[in-house]
Amino acid sequence: MNWLLIFAIMTGALTLANAQQPIPVVKPATDGKVWGALVYATNNAKGFVGSNEQAPADFADIPQRLEKVFPYQRFEILGQHLQDVFREYESWVVPTKDLFLKVDSKGPAEGGGMNLHLQFWRDQQVLVKTDAVLKAGSPLFIGGPKWREGQLVFVLVLQK
Amino acid sequence: MKTPSEDHDLIRWLDGEMTDAERARFSTRLAADPDLKAEVEMMQRMSSDLRAHLPAEMTVPYGDFFNSQIQVRLAQEEPLIPEARASWLDWLRLPTLITATAAVAIAGFMIMQKGPAAGDSVVLSIYVPNASVHARTFHSDEAQATVLMLDGVEAIPADRKIVGYYIERTETDQEVAMTTLYGKSGEVVLVVSKDVRNQPRLLSATPRG
Repeated sequence: MNWLLIFAIMTGALTLANAQQPIPVVKPATDGKVWGALVYATNNAKGFVGSNEQAPADFADIPQRLEKVFPYQRFEILGQHLQDVFREYESWVVPTKDLFLKVDSKGPAEGGGMNLHLQFWRDQQVLVKTDAVLKAGSPLFIGGPKWREGQLVFVLVLQK
Repeated sequence: MKTPSEDHDLIRWLDGEMTDAERARFSTRLAADPDLKAEVEMMQRMSSDLRAHLPAEMTVPYGDFFNSQIQVRLAQEEPLIPEARASWLDWLRLPTLITATAAVAIAGFMIMQKGPAAGDSVVLSIYVPNASVHARTFHSDEAQATVLMLDGVEAIPADRKIVGYYIERTETDQEVAMTTLYGKSGEVVLVVSKDVRNQPRLLSATPRG
């Protein structure tokens, strides 16, 4: 057999095999993972919007913690978002379109946790920019605008 | 270059501590020295700006703790600058140093409130673009949480429906600066991109609620 023909057949077979493989998805490097939620705090549960959202088991005590800070007794999770914190790119935590968070990693914090730059947005308006050290087990509560008979609170937790 | 005694005279003149004779002599010098006059005007402007922008009184949260930290720092630095003490006291009167002290104090309050433990989250800095919004931060031992409270934010109208999402996974494409957010069943829920002003644009695919 002609060696040139053999080479051509092998090259063609290899090319075909490569073409059939899925294009590898490159996942950006991450520094950690955060859970963010928008919570409606009120004293009147009749005003709940009827959301069925439940906090993950790791953060199930969030309503009890909120009660110790905010002057409300009932808390309804309106939306929630589990988000990788990208090392090189911005990350968005969007439990609702109305209030959401932009998160930029500033690297691991000394003694554990993460250094973060946060921007808290309401629609097209940034309400606050902050640098924070977020530690696992120590949530950040952002007391936001009043709504109906209560207040909206953004909760951000670093996942262990 | 001014001598330390000239600095001292300038500060005493600004503070209104000169006798009539001293004030007259200084005014003569002021009239003859344009550099000195420019410096006086600059310091008066600075002082006026400070008075206009800083509150006359500020509540010091956990003041005992903060004061004790200053005492410790002063005790540590005292042996290092024995000969500089007189000029240090003079400089303390300067508005610039007052500004710096106030800035350090405010930063200190934010960092050291309740002296957060090693495992506590900490808010290091705050910037609120809207002047009508006031931000304050504190740590709640009881809730084991750090709080960033925004006061003065305009309320969301009661008739506005807030639609919540459950976002479990995201994919980001930096070439087009776009992030796709996926729900529980792998469905596309939202796409986040930015407009020409670098502001986020959220495009909802499957509204819920």
